[in-house]
Amino acid sequence: MYGNNEFDGSAAFSGGGFMPSQATQTADPSFSPAKNREAQGLLPLTVKQIREAFQASDDKANILIDGVSVNNVKLVGLLFEKTERVTDVSFALDDGTGRIDCHRWVQEAVDTKEMELLSNGTYVKVHGHLKGFQGKKQLIVYSVRCVTDYNEIPNHFAECMYVHCYNTRTQKMQDAPQVTGQMPNPAVNTPSKGCQPTSSNYFSVQHNVDAIRGIDKLVLNYMQQPSCIGKENGVHRVELAKQLNVPEHKILEAIASLESEGLVYSTVDEFHYKSTANG
Amino acid sequence: MDTSNPAAFVNAELLRMYVGRRVRAVIQVLRNDGGSIFGKSTDEQELVVKGHPPNPPTTFVEVIGIADSNRSIQAEIWTNFGDNFDVSSYNTICQLANGDFKHLFI
Repeated sequence: MYGNNEFDGSAAFSGGGFMPSQATQTADPSFSPAKNREAQGLLPLTVKQIREAFQASDDKANILIDGVSVNNVKLVGLLFEKTERVTDVSFALDDGTGRIDCHRWVQEAVDTKEMELLSNGTYVKVHGHLKGFQGKKQLIVYSVRCVTDYNEIPNHFAECMYVHCYNTRTQKMQDAPQVTGQMPNPAVNTPSKGCQPTSSNYFSVQHNVDAIRGIDKLVLNYMQQPSCIGKENGVHRVELAKQLNVPEHKILEAIASLESEGLVYSTVDEFHYKSTANG
Repeated sequence: MDTSNPAAFVNAELLRMYVGRRVRAVIQVLRNDGGSIFGKSTDEQELVVKGHPPNPPTTFVEVIGIADSNRSIQAEIWTNFGDNFDVSSYNTICQLANGDFKHLFI
């Protein structure tokens, strides 16, 4: 059974570890709806983080940062290279970590007015939608406001660090249960990828255990208690017989069948057995 | 998108690590002689910033430029940061951005 576990894991990961783009795509339908809702808010980011983000495909807005899919972002930096056209205004935003191209569609007078106020070299706070376009990432901006209180600048970067911590920590917590005993794959860094093997393991364990009946089941349940799993040498079969109030030869039979299923194994000698779960 | 020329957040303590590279710092202006500003860094040490300061500078100015030496910056971009600015939180950002969170910045 343990072998199965590993097999499931590696099958689910085989694309993921080396080809992040595939993994994010396959993981997307099953997991991202919930994650998406969480990521709907405005994500404070630095240009450096955006540059290093993965992108699943060229035109889809499927950019992942710290394991969270990115839609709306907030950036604070200096505005440069402002170019006004009839339908849009484009500019570069430099937040000190890098520069990113931004576009603002101007449809209404309000938009035009907001953009007219801004000149090159001023600090602005930008809210927009991060998008991959022709292999480059760019920002489709909804709002560009002048920074009037300059404390907003350190505050923005503090937020970037906080949100980065928050997202990486949530993700570590999600990854943790399946990483133990599985392969130490450094590419396991998005919750969407991490989720698949966990669930498949869960079902495979459930399935096997369901087929176990009677004394076998009693023995297995006893051995899967945390107190027994914690024992280095496992459980002595005399202890099993006493605790479960079952004759020792019945215990022996049960152990033999569980052992053939790969659910328990003998430890220091043929009297001590341990469950393979979490072993 | 271009991240090849980032400006590191610095105070006087961190400035020495970036000599010859691009930095950003907030300075409290003490003396302005038109061509350079003598001021206090966010960790309260004296720095010289060369270039063309804004006229007139506010109490706090941000400069982005090349670190000249341990104690001076050749500024390219100056921004007046007004007369009320929380120096200690900016200083903390400088430390974090060069410490545990360096990978988010440079």
